[in-house]
Amino acid sequence: MEVLSPYKEATEVIIEAGGEPLRLCYQCGICTGTCPWNLVRGFIVRRIIHEAQLGATDFGNEEVWLCATCRACVQRCPRGVEIIDVMRAMRRAVVSLGIGIVPDALRISAKNIAGAGNPLGEAPEKRGDWAKDLGLKKFSPGTEILYFPCCVPAYDPDVKVVSRATATILSELGVDFGILGSEERCCGEAIRKAGYEDTFHSLAQSNINAFSSNDVKTVVVSSPHCYHTFKNEYPELGGEFQVIHITQYLAQLIDQGRLKFSKEINKRVIYSDPCYLGRHNGIYDEPRRVLQSISGLELIEFPDPREDSLCCGGGGGRIWMETVKGERFSDIRVEQALEKGADIIAVACPYCFLNYRDSVLTMDKAEVIEVKDVSELVAEAM
Amino acid sequence: MNGQNGHKSVLVIGGGIAGIQASLDLANMGFKVYLVEKSPSIGGRMAQLDKTFPTNDCAMCILAPRMIEANSHSNIDLYTYSEVEDVSGEVSDFKVKIKRNSPFVDWSKCTGCGLCEEGCPVILPKEFDQGLGKRKAIFIPFPQAVPKKYTVDKREERPCKAACMDACPAHTNVLGYIKLIAEGEFQEAYKLIRDTNPLPASVGRVCYAPCEEACNRGQIDEPMAIRDLKRFAADQVNIEELEVPTVTKTDKKVAIVGSGPAGLAAANDLALKGHDVTIFEALPESGGMLRVGIPEYRLPKEILRKEIGYIQKLGVEIRTGVQVGKDIALEEIRGNYDALFIAAGAHGGMRLRMEGEELPGVIEGIRFLRAVNLGEKVEVGKKTAVIGGGNTAVDCARTAKRLGAEEVKIVYRRSRSEMPASAEETAAVEEEGIPIEFLTTPTRFFPGNGKLARMECVKMKLGEPDASGRPRPIPIEGSEFTTSVDTVIAALGQAPETEFVKEFGVSLSKRGMIEIDPETGATNIEGVFAGGDVVTGPAFVIDAIAAGKRAAHSIDRHLKGEPIEVKEEGKEPEKLSEEEVEDRKKRFPSQKRVRLRDEPIGERIKDFREVSLGYTVEEAIEEASRCLAGQIEGCIECHECAKRCEANAIAYTMQDEHIEIDVGAIILATGLDLYDVSPLTEYGYGKIKNVVTAIEFERLTAASGPTFGELKRPSDGKIPHAIAFIQCVGSRDFKHKAYCSSVCCMHATKEAILAYEHHPGTKSTIFYMDLRAVGKRFQEYVTRAKEEYNVTYIRSRPGRVAVNPENQNPIVWYEDTTTTETKNMEVDLVVLCQAMTPRGSKELAEMLGIELNEYGFVEVPDKLSHPVDSTRPGIFACGYVHSPRDIPDSVTQGSGAAARAAEVIAGGS
Repeated sequence: MEVLSPYKEATEVIIEAGGEPLRLCYQCGICTGTCPWNLVRGFIVRRIIHEAQLGATDFGNEEVWLCATCRACVQRCPRGVEIIDVMRAMRRAVVSLGIGIVPDALRISAKNIAGAGNPLGEAPEKRGDWAKDLGLKKFSPGTEILYFPCCVPAYDPDVKVVSRATATILSELGVDFGILGSEERCCGEAIRKAGYEDTFHSLAQSNINAFSSNDVKTVVVSSPHCYHTFKNEYPELGGEFQVIHITQYLAQLIDQGRLKFSKEINKRVIYSDPCYLGRHNGIYDEPRRVLQSISGLELIEFPDPREDSLCCGGGGGRIWMETVKGERFSDIRVEQALEKGADIIAVACPYCFLNYRDSVLTMDKAEVIEVKDVSELVAEAM
Repeated sequence: MNGQNGHKSVLVIGGGIAGIQASLDLANMGFKVYLVEKSPSIGGRMAQLDKTFPTNDCAMCILAPRMIEANSHSNIDLYTYSEVEDVSGEVSDFKVKIKRNSPFVDWSKCTGCGLCEEGCPVILPKEFDQGLGKRKAIFIPFPQAVPKKYTVDKREERPCKAACMDACPAHTNVLGYIKLIAEGEFQEAYKLIRDTNPLPASVGRVCYAPCEEACNRGQIDEPMAIRDLKRFAADQVNIEELEVPTVTKTDKKVAIVGSGPAGLAAANDLALKGHDVTIFEALPESGGMLRVGIPEYRLPKEILRKEIGYIQKLGVEIRTGVQVGKDIALEEIRGNYDALFIAAGAHGGMRLRMEGEELPGVIEGIRFLRAVNLGEKVEVGKKTAVIGGGNTAVDCARTAKRLGAEEVKIVYRRSRSEMPASAEETAAVEEEGIPIEFLTTPTRFFPGNGKLARMECVKMKLGEPDASGRPRPIPIEGSEFTTSVDTVIAALGQAPETEFVKEFGVSLSKRGMIEIDPETGATNIEGVFAGGDVVTGPAFVIDAIAAGKRAAHSIDRHLKGEPIEVKEEGKEPEKLSEEEVEDRKKRFPSQKRVRLRDEPIGERIKDFREVSLGYTVEEAIEEASRCLAGQIEGCIECHECAKRCEANAIAYTMQDEHIEIDVGAIILATGLDLYDVSPLTEYGYGKIKNVVTAIEFERLTAASGPTFGELKRPSDGKIPHAIAFIQCVGSRDFKHKAYCSSVCCMHATKEAILAYEHHPGTKSTIFYMDLRAVGKRFQEYVTRAKEEYNVTYIRSRPGRVAVNPENQNPIVWYEDTTTTETKNMEVDLVVLCQAMTPRGSKELAEMLGIELNEYGFVEVPDKLSHPVDSTRPGIFACGYVHSPRDIPDSVTQGSGAAARAAEVIAGGS
């Protein structure tokens, strides 16, 4: 019997993306049971895999756009199925073949990224404006480190504190670093997960050209998403440079005795592992070490820390899409933090920063809990 | 063919059911079998199981007869607690080296009675109960163990010399009771102390603690607070509610003169031996010096009363207010009793022998304390001087202060360093605002208005050492001076009053003390013993207790008509060598002794409340955890077991034994290990209390388990009415073990049935991927579980287990893959069916030169024709180490391996 599929080409794309492991799936359902969506609504990951195995994917279903690529299911899968690749392949099929509907918010962000090099649609030449009054030097060949802030801390007025805190720390410690400002583009990690493969490639090529023409050897990033794509995806496209997440770099500076703290922060701080730093790249200890080095600071943990950490909901392009109240993972996370008696949620990812800040505001909890990037806390304690 | 002896015998490695089966089959064929088992008992995993599937037979009922048969079979040499060290040679002629680990118990003497275990203070997790239960450092793995012989789990050398126990006159098991306190077992600590000291609460307050002076930890940082810990243990016990042991009565009667610590200790021990004991006490209250010599603020009378009360409950009669020699003649007592112990103490005061001593206002120290302690009206003047430098002088001064004397001072003829009072007591007296005038002694007392008004003193200087070893005080001529005083308390020492024994013919020393054989306590008259201060002159409570116990031992033997033998006791306390001290300092971080807190000075001097507050539970555990002996795992060599063993089987110096055997074939049957599931953090094992593994669940249902067969969940002991079983935890998972562990679907079914049988109505849910019921009657078993035992099977691998913080219920998050619904299920208990792995195969494979598959199971090259043959001729495998399998399969394979081994040694190939 032949499986009748109106989108034969599309299903082939998915099967190819899932590859051999897709066939290995024995339908145990641990992915569904693991997926954070099922804390707030049903999302039958196993069925999506099963449909993909059979070539019976429903591209019109909104479920195509749900996956936040947090990697919880992939980490648990007893058969090694790369579920995120399957999800990405479905989106890719919709975007490139037009066989489904791309959510409006995502389409606009994608357009902005393709046009302006950032999801906010801000002018590319203003990309360096966040640092205007800081007197930073522009990166030039021979500079030791390039600081790459990510679009959100570069443009979003509320998140600039992150890039500014980072630059301040590096300047004060006399680190030889520079920024590229208008020469850089969005890293493209999230838009790729959202299915826009071509956009990703052009962004990556642009950045790789900018980096190589400036002879960049080491990049320090604020976003785990930039970290992930620079480290794991750019090399295939010819981008060869060392990439360090800011929390790793701060930990190094502490170990070398260069970064010392003079002020106490007498707060209970709960650290939220970003999916792309933790599960995707195995970095759990450095951010904690940095926070623990600050005197007075009491570091506490979420009920499911590290490998089991709950996603903020912002990966895989979800940051640009609307998530209705009641379905936001970040709301659950803020509640957990409040239950643990935290004064501050410490984050190490601009997406987490945005989501938690929104949750705190919409839950009317700004009086009792703050959201701060690790670099902000470090700058305060110096 | 080589190996004339070897070729008809077989080595079986592993004493589980497969190894037992193979051994018995071979033995019954007439072959010699050496069965080597690593643990102290055979039985393996099957012994841990409650029931077996699919028949629900009691596992132990099936297994135990086979174990006993293996142990008693004339063709089987059983080596438990042993390991194979080396194998050489080849089929028909293997040479095998076996290491028999020392159990530190002579198994030819051990009767398995368990007395040793009761006394052992070291509590360890019980392997047989997967750590859910506890065992002692001397143990048998489980009640039905074969052989039923005890093993001492001695892993390291004790880092100290146990000098405390040698220094203690009563040889109290200090290491043991401190270990028990550190473990939180306060009742047990008290019981252990009471074995050698019938007055722990009192001694824990007033002892001079020679143990602490000897304590080896003192060489590292500070000695252990042994006395304070003893008091703590005693304070945790309600003495009035302590159980009284039933003792078989003898028809012997013992009389004791004096109810002080010596008399009470002797009475306690003699009563426990079944003798009828009567104590004659001259004073209106019992307790001797503890009662009348020590002030209330150091030893509350109520505490002493309770401790004496317990001794009375043992059947000891105390007749107070009966002065022997006056109210009753010693001769008369002697006539009515089978033995007599004189422990009259030293209650006589020493005189000053100077002018004015008879004036009203001059009082003897010991008489003063006695009067206050007996509640007599005692008046002290505004200005009180206490003469003397001992503990009695300090007690008198502090008592006088509490009675309202405005100015109290101590006058002592030598200097501070010669003061016999303890440093602690000296510090306390000065803290309370009582000055000590050193190098001063009174010479005369002057009256005024018919009573004491002034005292003349002279200053002293120190000369050459006298007989006591201390410098002799010499008066400085012309240094006399006079001060006004209302009361002088002369605390110069005490002496025994032994007039009453003289005419009875008991021999006395020049100084008027009773002469005894110091090792037995016997006097010159048969059946009359003596001990305590009446023999030694004023000494310490614990010395008196030791004397009482020594005498009791001798009296007991005398009453039984046995020769009075000296009880072997201790040796001189040993110090750590310099190298040892350096080593210990490196190994154990310095840790300050936890100090006792006192009542505030301003408050405490207003009345007779107890000054020292005692430890809190946390403080006591912290202090107890400093003990050097307790720093090691396993046996701490306190020798309590040796003391209790009636068969004299404990052998601390026993060595490992190495033996060599020749065999023609080898069967590997080491069984399985359980895969550690804590890395599978999604299921919360180790984090959520009510998530257990299947083997733990098995122990929770078994009658020999930690809950004695009552199925209770770990967090709160509640009965679990809803249970979720999760299959394939670590199995069929490429990140853990990719293979199917083979038995989990069925043992989960069995456990769900057992849960229902324990508590009918129990709802069990089994989360499975594929239900593997591949055996005879297995599918029917599953059907019965569904239909008769309220078991539901849901096809799903759950994503995670959360916890409801309010009731500690686990919550299982899962997708029912048959309905495509995501759900969560709150249950009382989650059971993880963990993966199983071949046991010890890696090390053995190397030694035996056989190959294993990628998971460590024995590689079998010809699965169809020779299904139990390893890659090396003459070496066979059966049971779980061969491949994942259940009990019936393991037994079948055991027989198969035996048949193949027999074939080979009979000359086949």
